Amino acid sequence: MINGNERVCVQGITGKYGKLHTEKMLKYGTNIVCGVSKNKSVKYINGVEVLDNMYDAVKKHNVDTSIVFVPAPYAKEAVFEAINAGVKKIIIITEHIPQQDMLDIYNISKDNDVIIIGPNCPGVILPGISKIGIMPERAFKPGDIAVISRSGTLMYEISNYLSLYSSGIKVGIGLGGDPIIGTSIEDAFDYIMKENIKKVVVIGEVGGNDEIKGIEKALEKGYNGDIKVFFAGRTAPKGKRMGHAGAIIEGYEGSIEYKEKKLKEIGVNVISQIPELGG
Amino acid sequence: MKIHEFVGKSFLKDYGIKVPESYLIREDYEIKFLPAVLKSQVLVGGRMKAGGVLFAHDEDDFRKKVKELLKKEIKGEKPYGVLVEKMIPIQKEYYISLILDREEKNISILYSEKGGIDIEDNKDSIIKTNFDEFHDKIPQKISKILPNLRKLFREKDLTLLEINPLVEDVDGNLYALDIVIHLDDNAIFRQEWAKEFIEDEYPFHFVKLDGDIGIIGCGAGIVMATMDAVKLSGGNPADFLDLGGGAEKGITIQALELLKSYGIKKIILNIFGGITKCDEISLALVEFKTNNPDIELYIRLTGTNEDIAKKILKENNMNYYEDMYSMITDAVKVVSLND
Repeated sequence: MINGNERVCVQGITGKYGKLHTEKMLKYGTNIVCGVSKNKSVKYINGVEVLDNMYDAVKKHNVDTSIVFVPAPYAKEAVFEAINAGVKKIIIITEHIPQQDMLDIYNISKDNDVIIIGPNCPGVILPGISKIGIMPERAFKPGDIAVISRSGTLMYEISNYLSLYSSGIKVGIGLGGDPIIGTSIEDAFDYIMKENIKKVVVIGEVGGNDEIKGIEKALEKGYNGDIKVFFAGRTAPKGKRMGHAGAIIEGYEGSIEYKEKKLKEIGVNVISQIPELGG
Repeated sequence: MKIHEFVGKSFLKDYGIKVPESYLIREDYEIKFLPAVLKSQVLVGGRMKAGGVLFAHDEDDFRKKVKELLKKEIKGEKPYGVLVEKMIPIQKEYYISLILDREEKNISILYSEKGGIDIEDNKDSIIKTNFDEFHDKIPQKISKILPNLRKLFREKDLTLLEINPLVEDVDGNLYALDIVIHLDDNAIFRQEWAKEFIEDEYPFHFVKLDGDIGIIGCGAGIVMATMDAVKLSGGNPADFLDLGGGAEKGITIQALELLKSYGIKKIILNIFGGITKCDEISLALVEFKTNNPDIELYIRLTGTNEDIAKKILKENNMNYYEDMYSMITDAVKVVSLND
């Protein structure tokens, strides 16, 4: 995932959000070495050099990680460019990327051993060390819990709660709420096991069954830490799209009722109110 | 986004898959052939069983039934028009669909030897495969159309393409008798043809529900979690309304006005501002409350520019909460006292 030593390039650094969050990430201590933009008139943003393409970024600054703010219609092209240039971790903040573009991105990332996080996600934070993302840092007090989430704002809400009333957060990973995402809950657990983190909060939603599959696999692989799961969308009506692309109940297996039942069967704690996560 | 059958059929034709000869009626029309199948163009499932498909044998019959279908709501939905089709003498019905499969992270193919309106009862007969391995699993006479379907699926940015039934006529020709397609909402920007069907009229995500407590928030997850908490506290959410990221004053007022137009008297606002500026939201709340003193607002604002927002609310004698659960408890409690 991330370790704080990444050499980060911001793709789409001259855009409104790219610019704003470059400033915030720099303040937080993230090692941003350059940016890339198709806007050739800007040469520096917050003292960070702006280059024309990812090939130059890798050649000149030895970039190994990128964070993508490029608008959806051009995002696939931008990610392909980063992969072809040799970048190994790509965090895609952009929302509304067409699902078939994500399929293409997913396939090329697998072929090239590239880690993709997102799209439509808040990114990754190591509280107190580094963040490659857009989350409000105040909500993430350093501690020992891993938060992995399919929902952006709910990750802030719950992390804020954990920061106030629990032992704090070791890592926050926003996976994104879209149907096709790069890093799944299963992948996130692989990282958590490697880092030997013993407390995990999983934030899920209606739709899909990534949460069940991911947790089942982690248990099979011998994960023995404490897992708590919170779901959003118990009251979501069937077949209605609730805001973003992922949150739709696709039949019974996408319902929280079903997911909760399945998780209880394998002994995993599902909580229904955020304050139950404290302590 | 669901797309009408007549559009899906025109795509099939463009991609070399046989469909019955047909035309669409919206108002004025001529009778081009008889007998004919008349199909209401609605986006709900189970249209056949709900009386949305009729058969016309003579001219009077045709006129009477077209008139009837144009007026008739199917499961609460008004038809876009009526698709008139030639009848095909059917020998066998199959089922085939392509889905964008989130678990497999691939396009999956579903196939059944037993197509038709009772496919729901024949779920066990459905075979799931994909484009790397379908050759052994689907008979060649059916699978020969798969490359074209895949091309259509990719080029039109679909998330679902379902042909049911796919029929074989007495001469062994394959025809698609019905088609359901879903377009990926994120790809509308590059699918010009879809633009005329877009109905989303709000600059936010809104779904009307049955309850009486209005819910507004920023981000689908937090809005859903707020709805759930209201329900768990004994209240009933009236809606799902996600302002999205970066909502400004005007959009917030528009959202509040929309809930008011449904007669909602109590609104919960749960805002965790990342991109969204809390002060923009608070200005909207002050303006709305001044114009609508009878509507109760339960407010929780945190995140970007929170301090300015709280100062604005205080100066205007408006209360706010520090966390979502105490807000929700209060909002639900007062409802039960009034009842």
